[in-house]
Amino acid sequence: MYVTAFECLLSQPFFVLHKASKSSESSAVMSPGKPRKRRLDSSPKVSLNSESLKENLKMEVFPYVWSKIESNIKDVLRSINADVFDEIGRWVRESFNKICSCRGPVDPSKSTLPYPFVQNGGLVKKLFTALVFTKNIETVDDILTFSELGLNLKSHGCYVANISSLDFSTKNGIGGCLRAFLRQLLMVDIEAADVSLLASWYSDHGKYEKPVVVIIEDMERCSGALLSDFIKMLSEWSVKIPIILIAGVATSTDAPANVLTSRALQYLSTSMFFLKSPAERMDAIIEAVLVKNCAGFSVGHKVATFLRNYFLRQDGTVTSFVRALKMALVQQLSIEPLSFVLKILVDEGDNKRSWYEDLANLPEEVINHAFELPSYRTYSVNRNNHAELNAMSLDHGLSELQRLQDLWRSRLMCLHEAGRYHKVALLDLYLEALDPELYNSRLSNHGCDNAKDKSLLSDSDKLFRLQKAEVTNQVIRKIRDLPAAKLSQLLKSWEGLTRGTVEVHEKIMELQSQMVSGDVKSHKAELTDNSKRHINRHRLNMEKDACTSNDKAMTLAGQTIR
Amino acid sequence: MGDEGNAQTPRRTTRASLSSTPNPSNSTGKLNLCNQQPLTIDDLAYGDESISFDDLISSLPGRRAQIIELLRILGPLDSPMFPVFVYGGASTGKTSSILQIFKHLKRPFVYCSCVTCYSPRILFESVLNQLLLHRRNESNRYLSVKRCEKPSDFVNLLQEALRNVVDSLKGNVVKSSSKKSMGRTRGEMVYLVFDNLELVREWDKGSNILSFMFKLYDILKMPEVGLIFLSNASPDTYYLDTGYVEPVPVYFPDYTEDELRQILMKNQENPKLYTSFLEVVLRPFCRVTRRVDELSTAFSPLYQIYYEPLDDLGIVPSGDVKRELFSHLQPHIGPSLNDTFRVENRLSSEASGKTNKWKGIAKKMGVSESSDEIDFHMSACAKYLLICAFLASKNPATLDASLFDSTGGFSNGKRKRKSSEKSKEKKETAEQDLLLKGPGTFPLERLLAIFQCIVSVSECLPDDEAQGDGGLEGESWTNGLLSHVLLELSSLCNANFISKGGSCPLEGANRYRSMVSEAMALKVARSLKFPLSKYLYRGG
Repeated sequence: MYVTAFECLLSQPFFVLHKASKSSESSAVMSPGKPRKRRLDSSPKVSLNSESLKENLKMEVFPYVWSKIESNIKDVLRSINADVFDEIGRWVRESFNKICSCRGPVDPSKSTLPYPFVQNGGLVKKLFTALVFTKNIETVDDILTFSELGLNLKSHGCYVANISSLDFSTKNGIGGCLRAFLRQLLMVDIEAADVSLLASWYSDHGKYEKPVVVIIEDMERCSGALLSDFIKMLSEWSVKIPIILIAGVATSTDAPANVLTSRALQYLSTSMFFLKSPAERMDAIIEAVLVKNCAGFSVGHKVATFLRNYFLRQDGTVTSFVRALKMALVQQLSIEPLSFVLKILVDEGDNKRSWYEDLANLPEEVINHAFELPSYRTYSVNRNNHAELNAMSLDHGLSELQRLQDLWRSRLMCLHEAGRYHKVALLDLYLEALDPELYNSRLSNHGCDNAKDKSLLSDSDKLFRLQKAEVTNQVIRKIRDLPAAKLSQLLKSWEGLTRGTVEVHEKIMELQSQMVSGDVKSHKAELTDNSKRHINRHRLNMEKDACTSNDKAMTLAGQTIR
Repeated sequence: MGDEGNAQTPRRTTRASLSSTPNPSNSTGKLNLCNQQPLTIDDLAYGDESISFDDLISSLPGRRAQIIELLRILGPLDSPMFPVFVYGGASTGKTSSILQIFKHLKRPFVYCSCVTCYSPRILFESVLNQLLLHRRNESNRYLSVKRCEKPSDFVNLLQEALRNVVDSLKGNVVKSSSKKSMGRTRGEMVYLVFDNLELVREWDKGSNILSFMFKLYDILKMPEVGLIFLSNASPDTYYLDTGYVEPVPVYFPDYTEDELRQILMKNQENPKLYTSFLEVVLRPFCRVTRRVDELSTAFSPLYQIYYEPLDDLGIVPSGDVKRELFSHLQPHIGPSLNDTFRVENRLSSEASGKTNKWKGIAKKMGVSESSDEIDFHMSACAKYLLICAFLASKNPATLDASLFDSTGGFSNGKRKRKSSEKSKEKKETAEQDLLLKGPGTFPLERLLAIFQCIVSVSECLPDDEAQGDGGLEGESWTNGLLSHVLLELSSLCNANFISKGGSCPLEGANRYRSMVSEAMALKVARSLKFPLSKYLYRGG
């Protein structure tokens, strides 16, 4: 396989981040913006001038790249919640319609009456309530989610007030929480706030077509007594003002019963909604940022391990993951000699124009410096490669790298698709795909080209490492057990994923057509038999596929190790 | 009710909007006009058309005696009355009876609920706003008509306001007698209704306010004012000094089973079917609660299950069908008897919604169906902390040393002592004591010590989930991450899994207490593959 020198250079992030993983851990303590000393002891000395030039370049790159990544993450989080938001929006509509039908014809005189609504001689005190389960005991991530939800509902024609647990503190009492609530809707600060004001506000401007939605962000953290009082108060005005409650619950269904008094519970008529779990959100972010090359750089195995462990064991919030990612970016920029190309990589987006122009705009010094880096030297010595040292070849190398990375990505995503049926986290797969040890062991195991690696590994070593590839192997193994329907579904998704890369794509198409024809031909009796055969064949194919994909992944990783 | 709210339109308009089939767009169009019109004295009476005495009785089944009693106390038009104290359990129809009575009588009244009016100031201002026909809105920056915080101010302002109201009511009466058009309000009396009076006891200086309110009748000395107090608590629970006219008590007893049936039967689409449903469920539920609101929330999902097998809801069930329906419903009755809170699962995309709906109940009943996993994310560190807190609460502190010694388990030697009758008895009482005491408290240091032990033990386990390199993890667990542990602890506290008690007077440090159930702790332990039961002290 032809690999240009620039790949080596650019894939250095792997290398450097491997080394730097320890310090990235400690950088939680240090201020992240601090530029580090270069660690590559063998790097050639360059003039001060070009050094500062590069520093400047990097300083420009950082805010640019980070804003890209950040907006990307936000988009991902927004789209992951879109379904639930729609569902909630629909429920709000339905509830509002129910209230309207109960209220009967709009009668402004009724909505501001001080006494409760009487229907057929009985009082109506029900409040429609949605419990939104955030599935994470940390609530940091969901502050954003609930404000998004508020905006979403507002755009769908609701009056929305977001109240957080801070407003439900015992210090301020019920008055403080009412004030915070009314301030958002009435837009004035009121000294003696009570719900009747809401009623007069609501009836004032003929706001009868819209419901009033109250979002309480974290129910568990609210003071139970206050929240109960608040609910009681709202329930006295139910129907007269169409109030709909949405409460975020971090833990389980027992939580409302633990927090609220039984009296207040009695007023709620609840429905449940579930947000995506943090693990799912994490997968989506990793897919969008690291795998789909929005960041323009990759993290090494150790960094990924650290991130994963931190997520699973210590903190478990997407927020801290994003922060760690930011630190990784800083690290990358401060240590990597060629990291300024990130801007160009990230910029690419939809329009696949040549990077040449951008590269040509760079000062020559910088480009020359790129070819003096030790990793290129070793590379060109090994390969006896004498490419022309200019921006053109740098560009060429970049696009080659891009192509290979795309290949690697699409395969990783294929694995992820397969793993989805067994709820294997992308994070785990990503981690294993990055593991350089695994790569080496697999190389030797499959007897691929690199003979020298093989000799280095003892048998016991091999065994040990093979065991460690658990997740990936598991996924591959389990493909065999997939029922035919799911398999064809999987193949379809693979087809989409591998569209850019010819060889694999063809294989998958072939397999798909086989499946279809097999399905048509096979009668009911032989169905099981037949599909088994196909699946077996498929499995072989898949193993090959996985092997190649791992190969590719490893070649990249391998380059960096050398 | 800060505003007295009545955006009520003068009588003719209201009537028009009621009589004509109301068309929303039409009435909203009118709305702005209506709002600008000042409130009139008519707005103090109930807005709707009046109801006859028969309607009044039939709208409130089982409350006939109380209604007649109240009407007797209120007396005929323009007769002065003593204050009334209406009391009875929650959801026995106190508020709705009073409201319906005033709807029937069409007399002007002022209503204040102490739920909405949560402080003396808001209560006072709400009364004044209603009497002075003041509407708090944007144009007056939502201000009350008068600022009033002290009872003494309130008395002065109230007297003034009442005099105005009574005067204009008298004028009304004269006018209506001279012209033929009858005013919407009747009589010259004005009534003040205070609902949920029991809440006043919990206010700051609540007892002062309460005795003030009871004395209001004596202070005002206005025969044209009637005072009505509504309360969940009986008059005996108001410990007040005497020296005022005792209000006339009217007791609203709990509904009987028959009355409940009548109430629940109102407005059912298929009365026959619902009757047969009530035959099944009402008796067992009546033993648990007689509150209408609780019963109706409990019954609505049960009824859905009841008629589920039927295709045609208009059906009149025969004996066989009834039996079949009953056997269908029976398994659900028991669980929902114990259930106070129901959550409806809403997954329109999935057809499995129906089964999910009952999961909450099943969980409560301990029928653990597929609830082996905790359904929310917790970091491993938080999970360990949770287990530690649970252990620290359950186990006596003296046992820690033996549980968490270097061997990691307890020696079985001691336990082999033969248990005699007496020691068995002792053991039982000890167990009961433990149960009665509930989870114990513990200082932070003990929690951290246990945490350290448990984490180090679980790291030794060969089957640890660790897959990455040990170097990184080992570090992150044991060293220097105490700050994380404390962060996790605070988030556990926030999630109500651990409660932070007041500081112990002797030690001065905060003490904690675990609030999780054993089932939950076991679930968490299972997710970590941690042998929790091994460390749990069972008493004895």
